[in-house]
Amino acid sequence: MTTDASAGTAAGAAVLDLADIRIADVGRVGAKVARLGELAAAGWPVPDGYAVTVDALGDWLPAAARSELARLFAEPDTGLLHRLSAHAQALIESQPLPQWLAEEVTRAHERLRARTGLGQDLKVAVRSSAIGEDGAGASYAGQYATYLGLTDVADVLDHIRKCWASGFTAHALHYRSRAGEDELHTHDLAVGVLQLVDVRSAGVVFTLDPVSGNRDRMVIEANWGFGESVVSGHVTPDQWVVDKASGAIVSRTVGAKYVWSAFDPDAGKVVLAPLPGELSGQPCLDDDEVRYLCAKAAEIERREGSPQDVEWAIARDIALPASVFILQHRPETTWGEADPEPPTAPEPAAAPAKAFDPVQYALRNVFKVPGT
Amino acid sequence: MTTQAGARVNPVDDFVREELYPGYKQAFGSQPYVAGPVRPFSKADNARYWLRDSLHFSEGMVPASIATLDDAQTWGAQLGAEIVGVPPTRGSVNRLAGTHVYIGIIDVDTDWQIQSRAARFGPYVGPILADFDRYWGMRAAELQSAYDHFDNLDLAGMDPAQLWTTVKDAYAFHRRAWFIHFEVMYVLTANYLAFYQLAEEIGLGGSIVSALLAGEQTFYAKTDEELWKLARRARDLEVSSPLRHADAAEMRRQIEALPNGRIWWGEFEAFLRTYGWRMEETCRVDTPSWVEDPTPALYTIGTFLSKPETFDFHAARQLAVAERDAQIEAARRAVNGSDLQRFNEALASNQAANFAWWNEEHNYLIDRRAAIPVRQASLELGARLAAEGRIERPDDLFFLFKPELFDVMEGGGAASWPNLAAMIPDRRAYFEEWRRRGPELPTMLGTIPDSVPDPIMIEVFGLSGHFLETLKGGAAEVTELRGFPASKGVVEGVARVITTVTEISKVQPGEILVCGGTTTKWTPVFGIIKACVCDTGGSLTHAAIVSREYGIPCVVGTAAATQTIKTGDRIRVDGRQGTVQVLASQVQ
Repeated sequence: MTTDASAGTAAGAAVLDLADIRIADVGRVGAKVARLGELAAAGWPVPDGYAVTVDALGDWLPAAARSELARLFAEPDTGLLHRLSAHAQALIESQPLPQWLAEEVTRAHERLRARTGLGQDLKVAVRSSAIGEDGAGASYAGQYATYLGLTDVADVLDHIRKCWASGFTAHALHYRSRAGEDELHTHDLAVGVLQLVDVRSAGVVFTLDPVSGNRDRMVIEANWGFGESVVSGHVTPDQWVVDKASGAIVSRTVGAKYVWSAFDPDAGKVVLAPLPGELSGQPCLDDDEVRYLCAKAAEIERREGSPQDVEWAIARDIALPASVFILQHRPETTWGEADPEPPTAPEPAAAPAKAFDPVQYALRNVFKVPGT
Repeated sequence: MTTQAGARVNPVDDFVREELYPGYKQAFGSQPYVAGPVRPFSKADNARYWLRDSLHFSEGMVPASIATLDDAQTWGAQLGAEIVGVPPTRGSVNRLAGTHVYIGIIDVDTDWQIQSRAARFGPYVGPILADFDRYWGMRAAELQSAYDHFDNLDLAGMDPAQLWTTVKDAYAFHRRAWFIHFEVMYVLTANYLAFYQLAEEIGLGGSIVSALLAGEQTFYAKTDEELWKLARRARDLEVSSPLRHADAAEMRRQIEALPNGRIWWGEFEAFLRTYGWRMEETCRVDTPSWVEDPTPALYTIGTFLSKPETFDFHAARQLAVAERDAQIEAARRAVNGSDLQRFNEALASNQAANFAWWNEEHNYLIDRRAAIPVRQASLELGARLAAEGRIERPDDLFFLFKPELFDVMEGGGAASWPNLAAMIPDRRAYFEEWRRRGPELPTMLGTIPDSVPDPIMIEVFGLSGHFLETLKGGAAEVTELRGFPASKGVVEGVARVITTVTEISKVQPGEILVCGGTTTKWTPVFGIIKACVCDTGGSLTHAAIVSREYGIPCVVGTAAATQTIKTGDRIRVDGRQGTVQVLASQVQ
C-alpha cells in the first residue's frame, strides 16, 4: 500500500547494513542487532548482516487485515487463546510483502553475500527483534520467531514475514490480556538477517578471574557447539586460566561436558543435546585459539577501560584468526567498576530472590562442609 | 568414621581369602578403578565397617555376576561420587564373604579434599536440579535406545564374531547404565536430604518428608496394577485354577487347555512385552528375566487371586495423593514466615527433582534391566559352547569370571577350555554352599562405628546411631526394637521371619513380615501381609515405599529384627513411632 512518493524515503531507511548501525539505532533495529553494529564499528569481528527496521513494518499490514485482526481479538474470551493466535498468525502471514521492500532486502542480501565472500553458500539466521513495550517482550518471548540456516533470498523474504507475523501475534495476545486499555497498534518489531556462523566451539572470556577478582588473570570457559550451554550453566565447561601480562596459559581444565548446544536442522533451532562421546573428554580449543581470544579480550578491556566479559564463537573449517567472532561484551559487574546501564548490555530480568538453595543447604547442613 | 576404644568388632577373619572362588585368584580385567574393585576380605578390613547388602543381593553372586557387581555398586558408585563431587564420600567398595556382598564406604578424610569436592559439587548439581525433567529425560532416552538395540538383536542368527562383539557391547552398556545410576542418585539424594534436614531444622521432623513426596506414578506401580488386572481377567475367563502351580511351562499348558486359556495367555504375553524386562535381583546375570521365565509374574497373579477381593489401585492412589496433599497443607500451617518460604521452595525443588519417585522409578531402566543384555548374549554363547562340547550346559558360562572368559575367547592368556570347564562343578558347589550359609552371616563385619559420616549411606541403609548401638549391644535381651517410622499405623499380629526371598512362599495372609530388607522381588507379598519390619533401610527403601502404597504399617532400620524376633512371636508394630515390641515369644 505504500507506493506513493513518501515510500522513497521510508524505503531508504527500511533496510540497514550492519556497518551502518550504531547503538543509537536501538529504537529502529532492536538491541541485539544494535549491539552487534556497535561492535562491528569498533573493529571487532562479528557475524555480518543487515536489519529490516521497524520503519519498514509500520505501513506493511493493510487496513483490512488490521481491522480483521482487531475484530478477532475483540471477541469474547473463549479460553482458546492458542487457536485465536493461530488464526491471527495465518491472517498476517497471508499478506504479501510490498515489492519495494522485497527489492531492498534482495539488494542488501546480495551485498552481504559479496562482503562475506560466501556467495550462494551464505547461510543466515533471520531473527525477530522486539523493541520497547516494557514487559511484553519478556512475557511473550516464546512467540517471537527465529529461523536459522536459510540460503535462498525468497526464503529469507518469506521468513521476514513470519517474524513480523509472530510479533503481531505476540502483541495481540498481550493486548488481549489487558483488553480495553490499549488500541491494537502495530507492534514494534525489527528483523535482523545475520550470517549464521557454523560454530565449532563457543564460550566466554573474563578479563579478570571471576571468582577471586584477580586482574592479573584472564579466564576462558568454553564448550563445543554454540555458547548457550556455557552461558546457561548447563555444562561444566573447559576452563583455561591465562596470565594477562605474559599471555602464558597458567592452567587447563577439561570439563565434564555431557551436553552441548547444537543446531538441529529438523527443529530449525539450536537445542541442548547429549555431546557425542568422543568430544566430551576433548578440550574444545587449542592453545593458539586460547591466546588469540585472550589478546582480543584484553584489547576490548583496554578500549572500554574496565574489566569485561566477552562472548565469542569459533567457526568450523576456517583458519585462525578469521574463525573468531565476537558476539557481545559487557562490563564484569561482580568485580569491575560500577557502570550503571551499560549501553552494550541491557540488564537481564532479575530472578526472584530465593530463600532456599538445596545445593548450599546440603553442603552446609547435610554434608556439614566447614566454611559453607 | 569414628570409633571408641573397646569398640565392638565382628572379625572378618573367617572370611579372609586369597582366592575369590577356590582356584581363582583375581585378575582385574577392567582397570582402571576409581578407588578399588570387588575383593575377598583381608585382615586389614577389620579396621573398617562392612554392611551386608541383603537389600540388593540376597543369595550370593556367581562369578559372572561379580563382574556386573564390580561395574555397578563398585565402579559406578565410585565414579558417580567422584564426578558429582559428593563431599564426604568417594562411593562404595565391596567385599565378598564367600559369595555374599558386603558394602563399605570410602570416606573422604582430608579437609582439602572435602573443600575441593564441595567447590565442584554446587556447579555440577545445581543446573541438574534446576532442569531435572529434561536431564533425566535425556538419560532415560539413552537407556531406552540401548534396550531397543539389544532387545531386538537376532542372537541365534549371528556369526561367532558378531555374537562375541555383542557380549562386549552388553558389558559396556551395563557399565554405562550404572554410571548414570549413581550420577543421578547422588544428585537427587542431596536434594532430598537437604529437604529432610530443613524439615528437622524448622521443627516438622525429617521423617515427614518422604510422605510429602509420595503418590507419583511409577513403572512398577503400573506393573502391579496390570498384574491385578490380569488376576481379575483370569477370574472372568475362568482360567485361575492353574495359576497356583509352581512351574511356568506347566501353568501355560494347563491354562491353554481351558476354553478361554489362549485368550488369557495372549494378554499375559502382551503384558510381558512391556513389563517383563526385569530380573529379580540387581546384577544377577544367573537369574532369568520375566520375559525368559515368567514364573514370578504368574506367582504374583496367583497370590492376588488368593485374596477375596481385588485391591483397587486407582482408589488407593487417589487416597495416597489426597493424604499427601493434606500432609503438605498441615505442614504449611505449622510453619511461618521465612521458614514457610524455605519449606515451599525446598518442597518445589523436590517435587521437580523427586528422589522418592526416582528411587523406585529407575529400577526398571537400570537395576532390574541393565544386566539382561549380558545374560542373553552370554546364554547364546553358552549354548554354542555347550554344543561344541567345551562346557556342559549353557549357564556354565556364569561360573567363569569375566577376565577368564575374555582371555579364553580372545586368546593371549593361559586359560584353556578344559582347565576352565574342570573348575565349574566345584564353583557351582561353592555357590550352593554359600547360598545355604547366607542367612547366618552377620549384618555387619569389621569395626562397628559410633557414627557414619556419609548421610547418603545413613539414608539408603538406615545406619542411624540407634542402628549402630543395637548392633553393638547384641540382640539377646531386647523386647523392643526402634527403627525408622516408614509407614504409619499400629497393628498386632504373628511374625513370619524370612531371611531369603526363596522362602517367600511361606508367608501366610495376615502375618507380619520380618526380614533383612526387601526388593521388587518381594512386592507381591505386600498384598497379603499385615505389616512389615526390616533390619536395614531408610525412609525411601523399597519396603517403606511399597508399604505406603499398600497402606500397611512399616518400620525399617531396626538393625536386629530378624535376630530378635522368631517366627510365631506375637508382635506389635507402630509405624508412626517406629517401634516394634515382642508381646509374646514363641520360644520360651
